[in-house]
Amino acid sequence: MKMSKLKADAQALLFLLPFLAVYIVFTIWPMIKGVEMTFYKWTLIKKMKYVGWDNYQRMFHDQEVWAAIWHSAIFVILTTPTMLVLAIALALIANRQSRLQKLYRSVFFLPSVLSVAVASYLGLFIFQPYNGFVNTLLHLIGLLPGHQEIFWLTETTLSWIALTLITLWWTVGFNFILYLSAMQDIPDEIKEAARLDGATDSVLFWKIVLPHLGPITKTITMLQIISSFKVFMQIYIITGGGPLDKTRPIIQLIYQTGFRKNDLGYAATMSYLLFVILLILSALQYWMNNRKGADAR
Amino acid sequence: MKKSYGLTLAALASVSLLLNACGGNNGGNNASPSASAANSGSSSPAASESAAPSDNGGEKINLSFWTLFDGGDGDNMQALVDEFNKTHPNIQVKNTKLVWGEYYTKLITAVGNGTGPDIGISHTSRLPDLIDQGVATSLDDVAADAGVDWGTFNQNLLNATVVDGEHYAVPIDTHPFIMYYNKKLLKDAGLLGDDGKPVLEQSADGFVKFLDTLKSKLPAKITPFALSNTNDDPYRLWWALYSQLGGNDVVADDLKTAAVDADKGAKAADYIQKLFTNGYIKKNDPDFYKNFQSGTAAIMMTGVWATGTWESTKGLEFGAMPIPKIFDKEATWGDSHTIILPTTKDNDPAKRKAALIFANWVADNGQIWAKAGHIPSKPSVLEKPEFKALPYRSDYVSVADTVKFSKPSTKVWQIRDNSSFKFLNEVWANKMTPAEAMAKMQEETQKILNE
Repeated sequence: MKMSKLKADAQALLFLLPFLAVYIVFTIWPMIKGVEMTFYKWTLIKKMKYVGWDNYQRMFHDQEVWAAIWHSAIFVILTTPTMLVLAIALALIANRQSRLQKLYRSVFFLPSVLSVAVASYLGLFIFQPYNGFVNTLLHLIGLLPGHQEIFWLTETTLSWIALTLITLWWTVGFNFILYLSAMQDIPDEIKEAARLDGATDSVLFWKIVLPHLGPITKTITMLQIISSFKVFMQIYIITGGGPLDKTRPIIQLIYQTGFRKNDLGYAATMSYLLFVILLILSALQYWMNNRKGADAR
Repeated sequence: MKKSYGLTLAALASVSLLLNACGGNNGGNNASPSASAANSGSSSPAASESAAPSDNGGEKINLSFWTLFDGGDGDNMQALVDEFNKTHPNIQVKNTKLVWGEYYTKLITAVGNGTGPDIGISHTSRLPDLIDQGVATSLDDVAADAGVDWGTFNQNLLNATVVDGEHYAVPIDTHPFIMYYNKKLLKDAGLLGDDGKPVLEQSADGFVKFLDTLKSKLPAKITPFALSNTNDDPYRLWWALYSQLGGNDVVADDLKTAAVDADKGAKAADYIQKLFTNGYIKKNDPDFYKNFQSGTAAIMMTGVWATGTWESTKGLEFGAMPIPKIFDKEATWGDSHTIILPTTKDNDPAKRKAALIFANWVADNGQIWAKAGHIPSKPSVLEKPEFKALPYRSDYVSVADTVKFSKPSTKVWQIRDNSSFKFLNEVWANKMTPAEAMAKMQEETQKILNE
C-alpha cells in the first residue's frame, strides 16, 4: 500500500515538474534575487555595491515613498465603494425584464475590454480643456459659462475625480457581470413569496437582493482593493503623477526610481514594501472568506 | 447570456479598431526632439539593408549603429547611412532604429551585458551619465587615425562633449530653443516689417509690448503666444532667460553642490509667470503645436526640430528667429545629438577607427541632417550651397554660438525632470511664487545630487 502511494506521488510530481520548473525559474528565483537586490546599490548595468540595510533605512525616512503609498490608498478609498455601488446599480438595470436587456449587458461590459492605454487616452480626450468632451458638454448645457474652462487634469482634487471616473467607467464591467450572475442565482421562489406578502421594489431590494449579494460583495471588495493598490498605467498616462506628484502612486515611484533614476536596489526595496502590504491584504481576504465559510454552516 | 456576449464581442472588435486608430497619432508634441520630429514625416521605410557586396576582399568592416530617430529624422539618418555605405565600400554601417522612449535603457543594458552596438547616439545632456556608467568611451585613442580634426567643429557644441579634457562624442548638430512667428497674423497686427521680420524691440518691456499689441489687435480666439503650460518648453524658456541674466546652471562647478541663483532664477520665472497670468499664453493649452500649426497663434517657441513640420504644413506662412534678447545677453536653451562609441567586448581599434570615420562623415554632411531643422555642428557645412538652399535655417544658425548647455553632471536630466519641471510648473499655474520655487529647486537639486 505504502509503495503505491509513494509511486502515485512520484507520478504526480512528474506531471507537475514542467510547470514547477518554469515557476521556479521565472517566479521563485526572481523573488529571491529581488530580496538580494534590496541590499545592494544596483544599477541597470549591475554596478553593485553592498549597502546592508541602507535602502530600508532610507525608505522608512523617505517622505516621497509614504506620500506615494498614501496616494495609492486614496485611489483605493475613492474607487472601491463607488465601484460597488455602480456595479450593483448597473446590474439592477440589466437584470430588469426589458427589451433593452441585451443592449444593457453589452454596453455596460464594453469598456472593460479596452486596453489600459486606449482607455486612458480616451480619458485624456474626455477631460481635456477647450475641446474635451466633458467641458464641451458643460458649455453646451450652459452649466459652464462659455469663456470658462475647468482644468480637470491640473488641479489635485479634480484630477482624483477624473481618474476615479475613468477607472470606474473602464473597469466596472467585470464587477457588473459578477453581480449580475449573483442576482440571477437568487431563487425566483423567494422573490415571488416576498411579492405575495406585499413587498415593494425597495423592500425587495434591501431585504432580499442585497443580503444575497453579501458573499460576492466581500470577494469583489477584496479584489478591488488589491487591484486598486496596484494602480499605475492610467495615472501615468493621464496625469503623469502630477500636479506636483500629488497623484503619483507607489508603482510609478518604483518605476521612476528603478528605470529613470537607475536605482534598482532602492526600487526593489520599495517593491517589497508593496509586497508586504498586499500580502497583509490578501491574508485579510483569506481570513474573511474562511469566516464566511464558518458562518454558512 | 450567450447571445449578448456575441453582440458584445462584435461591437468591441469594431470599437477597439476605431480607438486604436485614434490613439496612434497622439504622440506628445513637445516631449522631446525626436518624438516631435516623428510628427513631421510619414512612417519611415523599412530598414533596407542592402545585401552586402560579396566581391569585396576580407578588408570589409561591418558596424552596427543604434539610433533613436523617428519620422523625418529617421528618414534623414537612413539617407546618410545609405550614402555613406555607397561611398565607403570597405565600411558597412547597419542602422537599427530603436524607440526613443526606451533607447537609453536599452543601450545601457545591452552594453552592460556585451551585446551593444559599435556606434550609438547620445544627447549631449545624457553624455556624462553614459560616461559614468562606462557606456561611452573616450575617442582620443583613434581620433587622429580616423582623421578627425576637432578644430572644424563649432567650439560651443564641442566643448559640451569634452569631459576632463577628453573627447567622448562627435556632435552632429544642435537643436536650440527658438521662436517661430505667423507672418499673416503679425501683418494683421501691424507688427511685420518690410523685410518680413517681426517689429520687436529686444528687451523685457519690448517683448511684452509686442505681445500686448498682438492681444489687442487680433481677434480674441487668436493666441498671442503658443506655449505649453508644463514641462519642457516653458522650462527651456526659463533656462534661456535665466542664462540671459547671467545664471550659470543650477549646479556648481564641482557638480556636487546645488547652485540655483535665486535672484536671477526668480526674476526669469516671474517674467514668464506674468506672460501666463496676463493671458498672452493660452491657459492649459492641450496642444500648442497644433495651435500654431492651424494658424491660430501668432508666435510660438520650441526647438528647431519644428521647422520641418511647419514647412510641410500647407498654408502656414511662418518665419523663424532666435528668441529675443529679453535680458542682458543673448542665450538660449539647447541640446545636441552626438555620435558615441559604446564599450564593446574587445574594443577593436580597427572597428573604432571605422566608426569614427563614419561619425566625422555624418558631421561633414550636415546639410542632409539639417532638413529636419537642426543646425549642423561644423561651420563649414553652413557655407555649402545645399545648406544655403534650405530656407529658414540661415535665420537662426547664429544661435549655435549662444546655446547655454548644462554642466556635465551625471544628474542633468534627473534634476530637470524631478526638480525644475516640477516646481516651475507650479509657478506657471500660479500656485507657487517664483522665489518659493527657487528655494524648493535648490533643496530638491541638492537632494538629487546627494543620492
